[in-house]
Amino acid sequence: MNSKDIVKLNNELREKLTATNKEIYEDMLVYIRLNNKSEQHTEEVLYEILEHLIQAQEEGKTAQEVFGNNLKAYCDDLIKEIPNEKKSLAFLFGSYIIIYFLAILSTFKGIGEYAIYYFFDKGSNVFSFSLGSGIIVIITDLIILTVFILLVLKWIKSTTFKIKKPKKWVEFLQIWLISTIFIGLSVLVPIIMPSFGAEISIPVISFAVLGVILFLIAYILNKKFRLTK
Amino acid sequence: MSLRSQLLKGVLEGCILSIIDQQPTYGYELSVRLQEFGLSDVSEGSIYPILLRLQKENLIVGTMKKSELGPKRKYYHLTDAGIEALTEFKLQWENIKIPVDHIIKQRGGYV
Repeated sequence: MNSKDIVKLNNELREKLTATNKEIYEDMLVYIRLNNKSEQHTEEVLYEILEHLIQAQEEGKTAQEVFGNNLKAYCDDLIKEIPNEKKSLAFLFGSYIIIYFLAILSTFKGIGEYAIYYFFDKGSNVFSFSLGSGIIVIITDLIILTVFILLVLKWIKSTTFKIKKPKKWVEFLQIWLISTIFIGLSVLVPIIMPSFGAEISIPVISFAVLGVILFLIAYILNKKFRLTK
Repeated sequence: MSLRSQLLKGVLEGCILSIIDQQPTYGYELSVRLQEFGLSDVSEGSIYPILLRLQKENLIVGTMKKSELGPKRKYYHLTDAGIEALTEFKLQWENIKIPVDHIIKQRGGYV
């Protein structure tokens, strides 16, 4: 059974938990899912302990009685024993995120600049850039994206197993700050990067075409290997 | 890790293999069986890290199956390597059990 199907089963079954147990289980779920181990084995064991908790609940037992008082330590014990993700699958998923990110950037740049030129007669129909600095800009932005994703995952992990849940607006502000810095840095890189390498000029609309092609590749990859659903 | 928990860990692995060997078993059922045999000291959740380890060592394999009543469950069965490991565990246990029993009982006799 594929991990994505187990996730669906988990979502349905989880509704049977009492409010207290659900809160505890969902903390465990988030904490355990945010590892870089085999997704298949992660989802299988998450489903197993959910099923166990529901049966224990019917017998009047609490989550602490089943998993011990230190839930975080218990989750760490589990994570330690989950096998690593296959290298090929991890590579595929990484490629999917990169292609998707480039697709968004490329499409917006293409359509945006073309529209500005066409409707407001501003900017240029042709985009000139230097090959060398262009490649460095893309690589730097991808590194910033990676750091951003890792930071957000770390932040989500830090929100689990809190005895006192922090206020919503504090959480919002934290994630807003991380996102703003990420967007700011991504935009800043092409501005401050000095030009070097061969100069190339291409019509801006071709970025949109490239973007759509990248979207298609990402879509096919996702469909074929069931990367996200 | 304390000696007590190390001792328990090895024994528990053997017991889990033995119960799964009798019939394909899922997690909750396994913990109930262990408790029925009197291993009530073992917290229910502690079987899951062990089940993961036994899978990693290819001693057991789990498959998601429909259960008669209730939701889908992951039923475990032993692999060939698992059967081998169980035989070895039984042998080692026999080799340890009798001498340890003798030592403890003899000492108890003097006190």
